[in-house]
Amino acid sequence: MIEYKVWFGKIYKRNSELEVIKSDDFVESFIESRCEKLPFSLKEISLKIFPSEEEYYSELRRTAIRVAEIEVEKELKSSDRYIISLLKALDEIDLGINLFSEKIRDLEEIRTDKTTEEFRRIVGELKELRKDIERRISSEASKLMPNVTELVGGVIAARLLERAGSLKRLASMAGSTIQILGAEKSLFKAMSRIKKGKKAKTPKHGIIFQHPYIRTLPKKLRGKMARFLASKLAIGARVDYYSGELKEDLAEAVRKKYEELRG
Amino acid sequence: MVKKAELEILEEIAPNTFMIRYDDKKFLATKSRSKPHYGEKKYAEFREWIPYRSKLAAMILNGYRIKLKPDMKMLYLGAASGTTVSHLSDILEEGVIYAVEYSARPFKKFLELSMERRNIIPLLKDASKPEEYAGIVEKVDFIYQDIAQKNQREIFVKNAEFFLKENGEGLIMVKARSIDSVAEPSEVFSRFLSEMEENFTILKHGKLDPFHKDHIFVHVRL
Repeated sequence: MIEYKVWFGKIYKRNSELEVIKSDDFVESFIESRCEKLPFSLKEISLKIFPSEEEYYSELRRTAIRVAEIEVEKELKSSDRYIISLLKALDEIDLGINLFSEKIRDLEEIRTDKTTEEFRRIVGELKELRKDIERRISSEASKLMPNVTELVGGVIAARLLERAGSLKRLASMAGSTIQILGAEKSLFKAMSRIKKGKKAKTPKHGIIFQHPYIRTLPKKLRGKMARFLASKLAIGARVDYYSGELKEDLAEAVRKKYEELRG
Repeated sequence: MVKKAELEILEEIAPNTFMIRYDDKKFLATKSRSKPHYGEKKYAEFREWIPYRSKLAAMILNGYRIKLKPDMKMLYLGAASGTTVSHLSDILEEGVIYAVEYSARPFKKFLELSMERRNIIPLLKDASKPEEYAGIVEKVDFIYQDIAQKNQREIFVKNAEFFLKENGEGLIMVKARSIDSVAEPSEVFSRFLSEMEENFTILKHGKLDPFHKDHIFVHVRL
């Protein structure tokens, strides 16, 4: 006997017989429904419990809207926090990988045995886990902030989000703030020097320095690129917060600017 | 005396879809009982269909037509905030549109649209996992896909396997940059087309310029 969980209940298949058990809570069964490709027509079967096609569709639509309302709120409430805690996990795993790798080197200088092999295996597993988490961050980030993620990739997008605290706050930041996000320490140091009448350089970039478009440019062009990228990030974050739709020309403009600067 | 602006139907393109002339302005529109959804203008009962916002409108304005019937069942992957779906909802008046979107923020706006329209079933789901909505979506006549993702071909193939009727059709909007951000767009497209040919008959493909740069539409049949 095979069981299929469909939105209006459960369908049991015995040999070629199909039996339908109607759910008493469509919202619940809709959320729980999950199945492989159905070997029968969902619509035809539904007419065993719905009096007409019209009633089927109106119940389906009502349920889908109800479920969507619940899930949208849930998703919007939790995704900022989810991404930020994934990012923290990523950083901690990196620390672990570095620490273990160092220990392995220390041990191997003395002797290679079972213990060092075990260490190696664990580091290998941590690296796999790291990859998984990074993928997860990218996919969650492109859901929550498609434009920012398109511009700088999932991990940098997540770091900006972490620094800002939430997408709402990132969306209210000026480009110049985003540009030095993560370099606050050197900014305040420079500002206090300037206040005392001394010479100082303000930082050109913080988190966004990790982006290849900035890192790979000659030093004197980095400030220009960082400023441009940050201004587009500010726009992107606002679009992400207020509409959530991908604006394709943003990433395009950044790419062009990079090519122009690189020459 | 101010001359009253006149509205004239120039051509019927699909059910409820027309080229309209209003004063000096010529534009694509769908006949609609609903209010505007994304900032488009409404002239009498005609909602302007903006090609810069909707790739389907861009395709139509570039001269290619697909056959849409008012009672069609459609699976729409990548509904976003519902710009294109709103017009398809005008066109498929007696039909059903199962619309999948995985990002919550645009979906919130899309949900407002779904509440106003009788023929839209909104699904906050990941299009790469059709098992999650196989117990909800029936077999459909048409699959429309507009998701700028690297593996969009695999996603389309998988959904077609689950939901597309025999001889059913599909329309895919392909963005070169999201499949391969460094290769030449023409290369990306020809690779995409030859891979699609393994599973489908390609009826037509073409550019969406000047409305959407480095994009093509691909019209297929199973």
